Amino acid sequence: MAAQAGEERGPRRGTWQPYALLSPGVMWLVLFFLVPLATLVQISLSTQKSRFTQEFQFSWSFSNYTDAISEYSNIFGRSFRYAGIATLLCIAIGYPLAYVIAFRGGQYRNLLLGLVVAPFFTSYLVRTIAWTTIFGDHGPIINLFEAVHVDGVLGTVGFLDSGRLLDTQWAVIGGLTYNFLPFMVLPIYVSLEKIDVRLVDAARDLYSSAGRAFRKVVLPLSMPGVFAGTLLTFIPASGDFVNAAFLGGPNNRMIGNIVQNQFLKLNQYTTAAAMSLVLMVIITIGVLVYAKVLGTDELAS
Amino acid sequence: MNRRDRYRAVNNRLSRRQFLGRAGLFTGAVALGPSLLAGCGGGDDKSSNDTRGGGGSGASGGGDPKKLTISNWPLYIDPTEGGVTGSVDIFKKETGIDLAYTEDYNDNNDFFAKIQPDLQAGNVLKQDMFMSTYWLVSRLIALGWLDELPFDEVPNLGNLVPNLQKPAWDPDGLYSLPWQSGITGVVYNIDAAGRELTSLEDLFDPAFKGKIGMLSEMRDTVGLLMLNTGVDPAEATFDKAKPAFEKLEKAKTDGQIRKFTGNDYQDDLIAGNFVACIGWSGDVAQLALDEPSLRFAVPEEGGMQWSDCMVMPKGAKNRTAAAKWMDWCYDPVNAARIAAYVGYVSPVAGVQEELRKSPDTAPLADSILMFPDDKMLSNLHVFASVSDDEEAKFDARFAAITEG
Repeated sequence: MAAQAGEERGPRRGTWQPYALLSPGVMWLVLFFLVPLATLVQISLSTQKSRFTQEFQFSWSFSNYTDAISEYSNIFGRSFRYAGIATLLCIAIGYPLAYVIAFRGGQYRNLLLGLVVAPFFTSYLVRTIAWTTIFGDHGPIINLFEAVHVDGVLGTVGFLDSGRLLDTQWAVIGGLTYNFLPFMVLPIYVSLEKIDVRLVDAARDLYSSAGRAFRKVVLPLSMPGVFAGTLLTFIPASGDFVNAAFLGGPNNRMIGNIVQNQFLKLNQYTTAAAMSLVLMVIITIGVLVYAKVLGTDELAS
Repeated sequence: MNRRDRYRAVNNRLSRRQFLGRAGLFTGAVALGPSLLAGCGGGDDKSSNDTRGGGGSGASGGGDPKKLTISNWPLYIDPTEGGVTGSVDIFKKETGIDLAYTEDYNDNNDFFAKIQPDLQAGNVLKQDMFMSTYWLVSRLIALGWLDELPFDEVPNLGNLVPNLQKPAWDPDGLYSLPWQSGITGVVYNIDAAGRELTSLEDLFDPAFKGKIGMLSEMRDTVGLLMLNTGVDPAEATFDKAKPAFEKLEKAKTDGQIRKFTGNDYQDDLIAGNFVACIGWSGDVAQLALDEPSLRFAVPEEGGMQWSDCMVMPKGAKNRTAAAKWMDWCYDPVNAARIAAYVGYVSPVAGVQEELRKSPDTAPLADSILMFPDDKMLSNLHVFASVSDDEEAKFDARFAAITEG
């Protein structure tokens, strides 16, 4: 009996300790994620008595959802388009950058990484507002285009709208790309940095060309980084409202702007809640499909 | 939205002329100060004796007579800067009231969203007073979220100009006291436009495609477009506003309108991103001193007129101190100092005479934007007070255009 009791004590201690260690995190998630999420679901299915008060009547009103989708489907589409283009640009810019830092950084590696993170020392808002000056009609970029006489060409291909960049879609996409670039560079760097360079040497020893060695060895091994970077870039970029608010015009609003406006200006909590949930559901499904295609075990490695 | 937001950046570049103007006015105030101070002092003692503490109701005072918390729009009062003492500090010194004056009122809709949960729950706000635009005053009265103002203790109430004593948004004149009024019209850069702009139709000139700004305040922008489409906004209904909304939507979709802004339209004007936009008279009165190429025009079709008003939220405690503040601001000397800085239409009688007393501020007394004459007034319009249902339709349609 005594032996049995002793045996039981061991595993029992083992069962409560992990839970104790988990509890702060779980409590945090329950309080600040699950409870608000449940409230959001509840409000999204309610009717609001008056738009000047926050009194909600739960009534399974799915019309909030159908309204949100029918009225704003084009904006959902636009948000994902902007976020998608920004993510691709982040990969195009971020991958070579991470590659150079990981393989050619040498003693400057940490300094270069520091420079990638340096913008975080300034507020997100301030950095975005700074771009309004850079993109402005009399700002350096437009001045440069005009000085080298490419403004006409860029206008014809649709990059400039009536000779301006600020308050157009490309300014919004540019802002998103700039602001989320570090979230792409860092995970790619981490996965590149883990690659054993002797694998590349081995490929070269076996008469592989440099390009082929990259395609067959480095790129596959760095895919988890690209995968993680894509998630870290695409998800927040889809819901972002700051870039569109400052760098975009009224034809470039993203879904985040609509939700913000519904919540904080129009006091339309039910519609806003439904729109937030639609956004979350679409992104979740998108991520699941993406993970299925690219494989989650690679992310875990 | 963002009314007077980011104003400080612009205002820091005070021109010499402005500076002298303000300094001169201040000197005048100092000269007149002592006698006024004596006058105020008498009233002060009396009202202090009357005070019985606690939140009051009706027109009488109450609360801590030496404490007051006010929220107002940014730079809607002359600040203490460049060695010149501003009105808030003068008030504190003259009355001994510990005034916490915060410039955290950036936008009517935002501010409403901020205070709404507390007022709905019956909580007392930290603010004893804030300055809301007329239509929001009307909404707050209808919701029962305002207290009557302690006018019994405001002798200078007699200085309120007659046409604002019982305004449409506060028919009995019990809940609100105008802070400043102003005109919404066309602001433009004459060098960039290459000509004088005289009408709203000019904002739809294809030559200015993508260089036009409009305000995110629904009543300003839609009101002007209603005038442009031949409808008097004083008789606004959602149906009558249809042509105005259609015109606005088309201009937005076509890219004629670059942006809908709050007070930050100033930045876009100065940066050259806007050639012309819809804007407020007081801003331009100030900006034009720094940027001589900026002009303000009351459009041929007509301009919009509005007022921002001092109100006290339900249960606000320091009613006696608030009365003191209102009385002080309605003294023509103080009102003139504030008006000279903000450049709007003061609701206080006697400001024009006060401005004439100093050669530095005398030119302001002849400003048609600060003292509109009958001809100008006949061209100014107010937006109808619409029902909640109608307003919801207006707001939703406007949001679909500006945020869609």
